[in-house]
Amino acid sequence: MPRLLLLLHTRLALRTTAIILLIVTLLGVIFLVLAVYLRAESVQEEQQSRIQELLTTVERTAQIGCFLGDRHLAQEVADGLLSNNIVSAVSIDTSDGTTLAGGRADPAGESASSVIHDVYSPFEPGTSVCEITVEPDQAYIDELVAQASYFIGGALLLQLIGIGLCVVVVVAKFVTRPITGLSHRLSELEAETGQQLQAPKGNRDDEIGQLVLSVNAMIDNLVQSLSEERRLRLEREIEERRYRAIFDNVEAGIFELDGDDLIRSANPAFRRLFGMPGETDLERHPVAFASLVSGSESISDSKDMAQAFVIDNVVREQERQWEIALGDGDQQRWISLILSPLETGRLQGVAHDVTERKRAADAAEQMAMTDPLTGLGNRRGFDHRLAVMARHRRLYPERCHAVITLDFDHFKQINDTYGHQFGDRALNHVGAILADLVRQRDYVARLGGDEFVVLLEGCSERCDVEPILTRFLESLRTPLKVREGTEIVISVSIGIAMLGLDTDDPQQAMRFSDIAMYAAKRAGRSTWRFYEPVSMA
Amino acid sequence: MNRVRRLLIASTLSITTVVSASAGADIAIVVNAGSGIDHLTRSEAVNIFMGRYRKLPTGNVALPIDSSSLKARFYRALVNKDLAEINSYWARLVFSGEASPPQQIASSEDVHQLVTQNMNALSYVDSAHVPDDMHVVLTLGE
Repeated sequence: MPRLLLLLHTRLALRTTAIILLIVTLLGVIFLVLAVYLRAESVQEEQQSRIQELLTTVERTAQIGCFLGDRHLAQEVADGLLSNNIVSAVSIDTSDGTTLAGGRADPAGESASSVIHDVYSPFEPGTSVCEITVEPDQAYIDELVAQASYFIGGALLLQLIGIGLCVVVVVAKFVTRPITGLSHRLSELEAETGQQLQAPKGNRDDEIGQLVLSVNAMIDNLVQSLSEERRLRLEREIEERRYRAIFDNVEAGIFELDGDDLIRSANPAFRRLFGMPGETDLERHPVAFASLVSGSESISDSKDMAQAFVIDNVVREQERQWEIALGDGDQQRWISLILSPLETGRLQGVAHDVTERKRAADAAEQMAMTDPLTGLGNRRGFDHRLAVMARHRRLYPERCHAVITLDFDHFKQINDTYGHQFGDRALNHVGAILADLVRQRDYVARLGGDEFVVLLEGCSERCDVEPILTRFLESLRTPLKVREGTEIVISVSIGIAMLGLDTDDPQQAMRFSDIAMYAAKRAGRSTWRFYEPVSMA
Repeated sequence: MNRVRRLLIASTLSITTVVSASAGADIAIVVNAGSGIDHLTRSEAVNIFMGRYRKLPTGNVALPIDSSSLKARFYRALVNKDLAEINSYWARLVFSGEASPPQQIASSEDVHQLVTQNMNALSYVDSAHVPDDMHVVLTLGE
């Protein structure tokens, strides 16, 4: 039974046949019942009419027998009727109720609806003389019906078997075999080579043909996307190799940061730049980026160092650039960092060693802002410093500074008398004294000729300036040796303006100190004067 | 037996002349005038002549007599059957012995004599020539 179920489950032809047979059987049974019922009816009627015929045959004799009340004759008639196998019982009764003759063929036979026939007088057609009651043999009728049923049933069974066989053959030939063939071919098909499925002969235009077309269309799509995939993979490999070659061999450091600012990958150049051991496995032991750059100084924006490497959301969304310095002194390296977002939570960074460029730029800048003779700042340097101071003042407006202008007294005479070489020496001499006097953060510049400027930072009062000037003038009193036996004392006139007290504008302060310097000259030279707004106006 | 054959031959010979002679007349069933029977229905007549009733309405045993010269006309008039049918009817009953056919008398004189002498006899005559000493119980129209 399970085997049959399995067969039905796996064989289309059998299943179809089983279903069709089931339907045909059902219809057949209904038809059979109907046919048997109708047959029984007609057999019944047939028997009735046969009995009527029999009665007609014996009627004349019966008439005479009844007419005369002749028991022998009546018995003769009854026996004659009983000799027919369709009659089970006969009874001939006269009109007054006496039974002339009777009989029963099979005493055990069941009685069916009996046929009652009136017998008339042979001489007076209107006068009934007796009644013949004939019972048909129900067993015989049943047998007839059964025979008919067997015949119909047999015919139906044959038809059923025929239909079943036909359906099996047809379904197997026209449906199952093409599908099996297709499935076999499909399993052997090398779809990735673009091989196509062939429709079985005779099925090209029907549903199986359509199935084949659909499968072929699917194979086409598959092959197309496969080759596309292959091409993309190849491209990606090339891309990867190219990137790997660049990554490994480029001078620039390339690295990746994850969401926790841990370095996930770094190329050899990056490792060299940041002094990481080449064999560090970053995948397993990630290094925090901040730990590499800690203690370095940044000249990126005006941001604090502390914040510079907090890689905030802004950085994560757009490209940012820093320059940072690693190490101190001669070992200091300047590195330019560019961070750009790679994907959510991941950043790619490129690090360049810009030390050389930085140094060259610094040197050039230094040179541009230095007076070649004295090594102090020149006008350009001073202007730059003044601009820095202006910015500084905007941040800290309460701080005061001193702007001091110095001018040689009778420098032209010295030049003319002792030559330019000595003039230069004198300038160098004074410059050196000034450089020695001032603090690191102060600034000394020679603006040109014999004019010097000193910026003293953080002088809140005039009295803060005076000790320096006193010391300066004292140092100047030491004579400068021109040549063997000739010494001169250089004198200088000094004007001072207090930035923050006299004015808030550095340029204005510069002018005021100039004015004060001229006031010192007028006061007899070799002295200093503070800017006095009322008296000097 | 000899007499019967003679009667039969005679009746056969005389049928045509009798029929032609008495065409148009009815047939009357007659009994002895003293029989005590006044009237018979047609059904009683059929039953008696066809052997069903053996007794007269009076209770006496009936003695029906066929008159050969009128037999064919009589049975045609009584049960609308020809002689062949009547003969075949009686032929069926010969062996059962339940019933016997009427006595066959060839000449009408013998019939007349039998009826007038026997109280229980009944027969038939042409209604046009009914003798006075016979009583008509039923007239059959032709």
